[in-house]
Amino acid sequence: MDLWQLLLTLALAGSSDAFSGSEAILSRAPWSLQSVNPGLKTNSSKEPKFTKCRSPERETFSCHWTDEVHHGTKNLGPIQLFYTRRNTQEWTQEWKECPDYVSAGENSCYFNSSFTSIWIPYCIKLTSNGGTVDEKCFSVDEIVQPDPPIALNWTLLNVSLTGIHADIQVRWEAPRNADIQKGWMVLEYELQYKEVNETKWKMMDPILTTSVPVYSLKVDKEYEVRVRSKQRNSGNYGEFSEVLYVTLPQMSQFTCEEDFYFPWLLIIIFGIFGLTVMLFVFLFSKQQRIKMLILPPVPVPKIKGIDPDLLKEGKLEEVNTILAIHDSYKPEFHSDDSWVEFIELDIDEPDEKTEESDTDRLLSSDHEKSHSNLGVKDGDSGRTSCCEPDILETDFNANDIHEGTSEVAQPQRLKGEADLLCLDQKNQNNSPYHDACPATQQPSVIQAEKNKPQPLPTEGAESTHQAAHIQLSNPSSLSNIDFYAQVSDITPAGSVVLSPGQKNKAGMSQCDMHPEMVSLCQENFLMDNAYFCEADAKKCIPVAPHIKVESHIQPSLNQEDIYITTESLTTAAGRPGTGEHVPGSEMPVPDYTSIHIVQSPQGLILNATALPLPDKEFLSSCGYVSTDQLNKIMP
Amino acid sequence: MNIKGSPWKAGSLLLLLVSNLLLCQSVAPLPICPGGAARCQVTLRDLFDRAVVLSHYIHNLSSEMFSEFDKRYTHGRGFITKAINSCHTSSLATPEDKEQAQQMNQKDFLSLIVSILRSWNEPLYHLVTEVRGMQEAPEAILSKAVEIEEQTKRLLEGMELIVSQVHPETKENEIYPVWSGLPSLQMADEESRLSAYYNLLHCLRRDSHKIDNYLKLLKCRIIHNNNC
Repeated sequence: MDLWQLLLTLALAGSSDAFSGSEAILSRAPWSLQSVNPGLKTNSSKEPKFTKCRSPERETFSCHWTDEVHHGTKNLGPIQLFYTRRNTQEWTQEWKECPDYVSAGENSCYFNSSFTSIWIPYCIKLTSNGGTVDEKCFSVDEIVQPDPPIALNWTLLNVSLTGIHADIQVRWEAPRNADIQKGWMVLEYELQYKEVNETKWKMMDPILTTSVPVYSLKVDKEYEVRVRSKQRNSGNYGEFSEVLYVTLPQMSQFTCEEDFYFPWLLIIIFGIFGLTVMLFVFLFSKQQRIKMLILPPVPVPKIKGIDPDLLKEGKLEEVNTILAIHDSYKPEFHSDDSWVEFIELDIDEPDEKTEESDTDRLLSSDHEKSHSNLGVKDGDSGRTSCCEPDILETDFNANDIHEGTSEVAQPQRLKGEADLLCLDQKNQNNSPYHDACPATQQPSVIQAEKNKPQPLPTEGAESTHQAAHIQLSNPSSLSNIDFYAQVSDITPAGSVVLSPGQKNKAGMSQCDMHPEMVSLCQENFLMDNAYFCEADAKKCIPVAPHIKVESHIQPSLNQEDIYITTESLTTAAGRPGTGEHVPGSEMPVPDYTSIHIVQSPQGLILNATALPLPDKEFLSSCGYVSTDQLNKIMP
Repeated sequence: MNIKGSPWKAGSLLLLLVSNLLLCQSVAPLPICPGGAARCQVTLRDLFDRAVVLSHYIHNLSSEMFSEFDKRYTHGRGFITKAINSCHTSSLATPEDKEQAQQMNQKDFLSLIVSILRSWNEPLYHLVTEVRGMQEAPEAILSKAVEIEEQTKRLLEGMELIVSQVHPETKENEIYPVWSGLPSLQMADEESRLSAYYNLLHCLRRDSHKIDNYLKLLKCRIIHNNNC
């Protein structure tokens, strides 16, 4: 390889006549073997390049270039710098050599003031062995880089009242070689300072004066300050001055640590306070939506899958199917009335209380009372209706005797529309309640959930599951008064329609037609939220004159909240027809009767023992028909 | 102060009012006439201060305009080497370094400055017109050009006022280099046109720097007696 390089170099040296020192080249053959011909750029040694051109005061400038270092050997040919500048009217391509290679150090060219023109562009090029290595064009203003300021000093301006901070005034002088006095250079300065043990310098904005105040330095810390300068409008920042150390004298011995801690505690406290305030605002505001969001209402119990509306409309089949899904559901007694449940009152276990609700209290009270009331009631068996005032009073009093708490419960319940207590009209403003035929009945009282009469209608099915309180309001003298009664339905208003229940069991039908009954029937029919037992309806209808009852019934029928059992419907419907045999109260009628066929608006055929036939249009539930359908039926 | 006649006085008042307005945009306003407008006598020092502020502002605008133009249109395309075309003000014998500037007498110096300013009236006017007429006129460049044109007029008026104060006997010398580069600005060839614009803006930057430098020198010389 060495031989090849030698031959190549010799060939080049011989061919080229640009080399001034060809003999020197030859004599330096060993060096040349390893050196690179700059023109060829064959090997890895670097070419000299301009590193920096700088004018510190706009009167002189110098250019530096990299020294080609390759194994400590010098380059083959001397590196030369040529410059040219545009004279007045034309761009002379006359390249002149650097006037001073020495003054600015090694690998540099220094142009003194006679060679420096400010608004004239220069071009310089670096040559080695005749070949241009690097070239650069500029004007002097672009390369102005002032010297660092000198003579930095500081004075104390003032100390804060706390003795923790202080302000100082830092002064310096322009570099000597910058001609500020004559206005040749106008400098701007940048000051930087930091604490001694910090790493990042803080910078201030550029200023035109040679003194500047620095505010808010901590007294117990030591600071470093440095300044650098730049010509306005052109050039770059010069080097930084020497660092000035600022040690502020401690005024007092009791300087406290004033470290700034982020007030997390305050922020947390105020945040919690604010949130609480907002929460209260939301809670007490009328914004139901937000309230719902924050405090969602407790869902009322529902049967899964059953839409309360279904029950209202009485679509029994669908409800049946839905309920059939539930394992717990057992349509025990009536196949077609599967959604009505008998609620058993277990007398033998009086302590069977699950909740402390008023219902239960009343229930329990009734448990206890039932024993005694039985006798009382039995004593009043002569009465036909639980609506007799005496009966009601006794009932009420009996209830009062037993539990005081029930008093509270009772008025509540009584006031509620859903009360099924046998109430006296005089005593209460509630809707009068007609039990089933007193003779036979055990008036069934089912207490609805007292506090929520309104949801009851919507949860018809649910009401059937509720604990029912059976109160004997029927002055039936029957010993075997049943404690069970069926709730036929619950009106939307909350009143409950009872079915006559086991009339047959009772055996006695004391539903004699009494005039007072008639009057009561009339009155009651007229009342709102009145629910009628079937027997009552039956009683009322045949007893009263047709016209009278009809007139009474019809307005009552028109009221939405009145439910009339199918029997009453039958009676009412059958009346005009006259072909229908109105089943008397003495006739054993099953509790639940389905309307089998509606032949005409005036005809209803009750299917006493009919299997539940899906008659979609009409309710075949526990003997009630909604007024809509009634209106359809009735003329 | 020797002020020649009332036109000069009115002119100085006008100049001061206008300078006050425009200087308020860029610098903090200095009180011109503490005694009121009626008997306003602006000192030479104030005149020079304002002139220096104006020239500095104009040079800043020129530099920015040039760098924006270069960045947008001609960067890295070697126009600088092609910008050999001399500026139209090159015919003026301007000092190129400090010694030459120091050797120049004050009167000639002032006249030179005024000549340069006068010679730039027309190029600036055409520059604004041409840039405005360009499709997709660069707003930044156009706004700066408009501002430079305006401020140069103000500076010229101020300089004429200074001259009348410092050298009142100077007769009005209306000779100044004429710019003839308008055709080159309107050339169809984009390369030539860009080169013309580059040259014009480069010359403007250089000349505004010269004026700024000269005024600072003169201010230190005349007002502060070489002890700024």
